[in-house]
Amino acid sequence: MALSAVAPKQAAARPQSAQIAFSNVTLILGGKPIVEDLSLAVKPGEFLCVVGASGCGKTTALRLAAALYQPTSGLVQFDGQAMTAPRRDIAIVFQDYGKALLPWRTAAGNVSLALEATGIPAAQRAGRIDALLKKVGLPNHAGKYPAEMSGGMQQRLQIARCLAQDPKALLMDEPFGALDAMTRQGLQDEVLSLVAASSTTVIFVTHDLEEAIYLGDRVIGLLPNPGRIGIELPIDLPRPRDQLTTRENPEFLRLRRELFDFIKASEA
Amino acid sequence: MTRSAVYWRIASFLVAAGFVGLWQLIANLKLISQVYLPGPDRAWAALVRGFTSGDLASKLLGTLEHMVYGWFLASVAGIALGAVIGSSRAARSYIAPSLEFLRPLPVSAIIPVAIAMFGLTQAMALFVISFGAIWPMLLATVHGFAAVEPRLYEVARSLQMSRLAVIFKIALPSAAPDILAGMRLSLTVALILSVVCEILAGLDGLGHSVLLSARAFRSADLFAGVILLGVIGYLTSLMMSYAESRLLGYRRGIR
Repeated sequence: MALSAVAPKQAAARPQSAQIAFSNVTLILGGKPIVEDLSLAVKPGEFLCVVGASGCGKTTALRLAAALYQPTSGLVQFDGQAMTAPRRDIAIVFQDYGKALLPWRTAAGNVSLALEATGIPAAQRAGRIDALLKKVGLPNHAGKYPAEMSGGMQQRLQIARCLAQDPKALLMDEPFGALDAMTRQGLQDEVLSLVAASSTTVIFVTHDLEEAIYLGDRVIGLLPNPGRIGIELPIDLPRPRDQLTTRENPEFLRLRRELFDFIKASEA
Repeated sequence: MTRSAVYWRIASFLVAAGFVGLWQLIANLKLISQVYLPGPDRAWAALVRGFTSGDLASKLLGTLEHMVYGWFLASVAGIALGAVIGSSRAARSYIAPSLEFLRPLPVSAIIPVAIAMFGLTQAMALFVISFGAIWPMLLATVHGFAAVEPRLYEVARSLQMSRLAVIFKIALPSAAPDILAGMRLSLTVALILSVVCEILAGLDGLGHSVLLSARAFRSADLFAGVILLGVIGYLTSLMMSYAESRLLGYRRGIR
């Protein structure tokens, strides 16, 4: 079991099978390089987790994947096409769910926003909304406003709205960072089962190393100033994952140790 | 309503009743000549007489028309213009300086201009009232549009929403609390300017009737008109509060 560690990833040629591909992507904001020469390929259906010390550009990388930022140089591609504008089949789950939901719309109305944008006829929306709210565990809260919901429920609602886009790829930016530990574990398992059922590609940014190992097929660690890939770990833990047995698996502990050492070294 | 809220309501009625009582007392003691100050009893009698045998109802309707038409025109124009300015940086830099010049202009200075342009007509009143009432709404809309949560615009981008959909589904509802607050302020301005225009241009309405009553030393009729204007202001503001609580009901959970 020889997993290559700290060697920085080379700017490898993008495999043809990649769904999301970064080729030598550099982003300079305000004269400062935020990410530099980032190359990365995410296969369809892959669950990629991105970790790194704060300020290492992991959120920026996610926003580049969504085309909310355009790279200064290099190329971001989705299914072989250059990303010049956000696309509806790439959904983003923002960390600050409170800001990403429409406070004047009910839970059903918030999900409806995505269906309206997709052009689903009004007659079909109610059924879709019910199904989506059920999927994320909010079947009895359709009439509630976000302000009447807990943080965990609001994040579920945002996930439901993203699923309403019927996305090929789901980009999640520290989605559970503001939630308490119990809620977070519950949502981790729900996201895993949602994604497993739909074979959606996921890029999941988190600062929680255990969360990254628990969820991912692969974890990359970024180095700060400027952001670049410092470590890449394939995660060969059996699926479905389990909050107790997976986290007790010796391989989990070994990966955890490796990732902690990397983060510690990157902060030094 | 909680118990303490009931007490506050009772207390506020008692204070109002106290003022009316004081007014009656001053009138009865003839501290001020009855020619100038009728008691509430005479004012009330004039009010009833005005509605039953006089033309107070049509005067009231005249003032309401001026106020509502002017306010409505100002609302439509103010919100539309505010939306354009608030959602486009180019529009902001082109239009904002002109607005900054027009905004501090006293409306009273516009009235002679309006009279010269439109004569002593309803059109003049409509112009003056909307000109005065547009500012609170325009500024509130611009502010509301500028204060939309940027994250929501990112949500809109990732949903590839059209520009029109973004305005109607995100920016306008997000700015609604500001806009409604502006509309409430404008309502008061519209009432004031309705009265001013009626007085200056002799247009049919309470303003004109109040002026005529004063000139004829019919103080009871004068006070009846003034009371009625106060009632209009109070009731329209109450209606705005009701509309606000209905439209912004989603904020109840926000603390």
